[in-house]
Amino acid sequence: MKDVLWAQFAKDKRKPLLVLLLIVGSIAATLLFGGGLQSVTTVVIFSEEANAAEIEKKWGGLLNTNDTFTFEVVEPDKAREDIKKGNSDVAVKLMEDDYRLLVSKNMPSVSSVEQHVKKVFLQEAQIRAVESQEGGDVREEIESYLDDPPFQLVAQGLDSEQITAYNIRTQLLFAFTFLISMFLLGFKVNNVTQDKVAGIWDRMILSPLKKTNMYSGYLLYSFLITMFQIVVVLIVFKYVLQYDVGDNLWLIILIAACFTFGMISIAMLITGFVRTPEQFYAIYPSVIPVIPLVSGVYMMPGTITNPVLLFIADLFPLAHAMEAIMSVVFYGTGLQDVLMSLLYMLLIGIVAMGVGINLVERRSN
Amino acid sequence: MLETINLSKSFKGKKVVQDLNLYLADGESVGLLGPNGAGKSTTISMISTLIKPTSGRITMNGVNAIDKPGEIRSVSGVVPQELALYQELSAYENLKFFGSIYKLRGKELAKAIQQALEFVGLDDRKKDLVRTYSGGMKRRLNIAAALLHRPQILILDEPTVGIDPQSRNHILEAVRTLNQQDGTTILYTSHYMEEVEQLCDRLYIMDHGKVIAAGTKEELLRILSTEDKIKVEVNKLDEAFVEQVKTIEGVHKIEVTELQLKIIAAKGSSLISKLVHLTEKHHIQLLNFQTETPSLEDVFLHLTGRTLRD
Ligand SMILES: Nc1ncnc2c1ncn2[C@@H]1O[C@H](COP(=O)(O)OP(=O)(O)O)[C@@H](O)[C@H]1O
Ligand SMILES: [Mg+2]
Repeated sequence: MKDVLWAQFAKDKRKPLLVLLLIVGSIAATLLFGGGLQSVTTVVIFSEEANAAEIEKKWGGLLNTNDTFTFEVVEPDKAREDIKKGNSDVAVKLMEDDYRLLVSKNMPSVSSVEQHVKKVFLQEAQIRAVESQEGGDVREEIESYLDDPPFQLVAQGLDSEQITAYNIRTQLLFAFTFLISMFLLGFKVNNVTQDKVAGIWDRMILSPLKKTNMYSGYLLYSFLITMFQIVVVLIVFKYVLQYDVGDNLWLIILIAACFTFGMISIAMLITGFVRTPEQFYAIYPSVIPVIPLVSGVYMMPGTITNPVLLFIADLFPLAHAMEAIMSVVFYGTGLQDVLMSLLYMLLIGIVAMGVGINLVERRSN
Repeated sequence: MLETINLSKSFKGKKVVQDLNLYLADGESVGLLGPNGAGKSTTISMISTLIKPTSGRITMNGVNAIDKPGEIRSVSGVVPQELALYQELSAYENLKFFGSIYKLRGKELAKAIQQALEFVGLDDRKKDLVRTYSGGMKRRLNIAAALLHRPQILILDEPTVGIDPQSRNHILEAVRTLNQQDGTTILYTSHYMEEVEQLCDRLYIMDHGKVIAAGTKEELLRILSTEDKIKVEVNKLDEAFVEQVKTIEGVHKIEVTELQLKIIAAKGSSLISKLVHLTEKHHIQLLNFQTETPSLEDVFLHLTGRTLRD
């Protein structure tokens, strides 16, 4: 087995470009579609009230307190036009004490904008309420008070663990990392077919090497290189880009490992249906991108409600992996809480692997 | 001794190998000759235990090798028709892998690799990637990979297709050395008559999945001992002339190439005088005239009515 592992590794060592590109790709995709880390997004604001200028000035000042967004006042017509044409993702229509969001695309960044705007308006409403009772200017007082309150409300989950706010960027980080993992592990599983067609597999069959060792050599290599990709990406995001990926990195890696095993088995199942590596290259990349869509991993959890889609998503490890990871990262749950998801992934893996290897073996006779 | 008895293989009902009887005695060099599609590779795959026959038996020293493939696998090396090599790795790395799957380790492995590399003349290029090799070098490495574990039986499937004469000679020389100096038993598959003639003690001629003739070179040539082969060159040729030559008594076969006629006819037929007579009648000038000893190529032509390269 370790000889097979060595040969696969030696090939990638000679041509590390694909693996490196996929690692960089998962990082780049997260940064690009997740709205970036520090990149400032400009959000247009406008008002159509009688005292538009006054309202825009007031809220513009209050809104521009966040590093990630710059709120810019524009003409109402232009704002509506840009939204219609899709030039901007979101615009905020301001009123005296309220706002409306105009959205063109449901980009992940939109929900971050919404969170921020909502917070500012709520806080302002509270200040206003206190003012109307106390009279006079209490804003400064309240603001300094809020910065250092005597009582701090700490939200806690059932298990007394701290609730971290849901964050679409972190979700996307895992979604893209897993998407790319699926490609990487699939290409490595396809080496079985590649070496079969080349005749290298036959050389191994004739040697004293056992068949189980041959399969495990290929599959273990696929597993290890994919785990390498996932762990590198996670470490970059956690320690270099300071993303919030929770405190329990080992549990996340365990979930990723079960996911990788499950997906390798599915790649093996697909291998059972193809004769040549080219056929695999034609089928696999057209199936893989559908899995995250069906599993809803690019959207807020709970967006997909169609029972058929939910059922299909459950057949693949991705939905289970994402569910487990979200609960670990955002709600700090432990191993027991995600055990069911892990078992599901292992079960999918065992079934798909069994059927896949059987099909491959039947093909060769 | 390795033996096949009524070995047959069908793919989806199509008979590719039929009732093949073949044996390989220890230390022999045996050729399996036949045109493309004759069923040579299928035969080799069955003998090397890679595919199971539809019917028939294979025995190794009397033991059923279909049930116990280890009997053959442990003593044989197979050079496949395709280049079963990692193109992205160097020759050395390839051999390191193919040696290690035969449980060779450390010094023993290094020595086996070195010997195999020197044997096929690739020692000075061992660090280069196989991808950068010429066709002939790849073929040589393909052979080296089957030699690392020092097999007693070496099975080669068309090891010289599409390569330069230099590499070809190198390979033929190497196989001969293995056979004559190391006593390795050779089963050599080819559709090149000359190679098998040069290399093999005994040969089987296959066509359409069947062995149509078998024996030593002399035995096979004796098939033609009752025939003469005459090569005639003329200044012009016409249909009518060729047709009339065909009707000469004793003529079995005629091959026409441009202004040349190859005629195979029964020994002792008064072919020559009749031929001269015919040329005069058709106002054709005889430029050259030659009787030839038949070759194995002619045996094949005789048996199948086709040449090997068809
Ligand atoms: N796996 C297979 N499935 C179907 N037909 C096959 C298969 N392998 C070989 N054949 C057919 O069997 C015949 C003999 O092939 P092969 O043994 O490769 O001949 P050779 O090696 O003498 O050129 C060919 O007609 C080929 O198409
Ligand atoms: Mg062949």
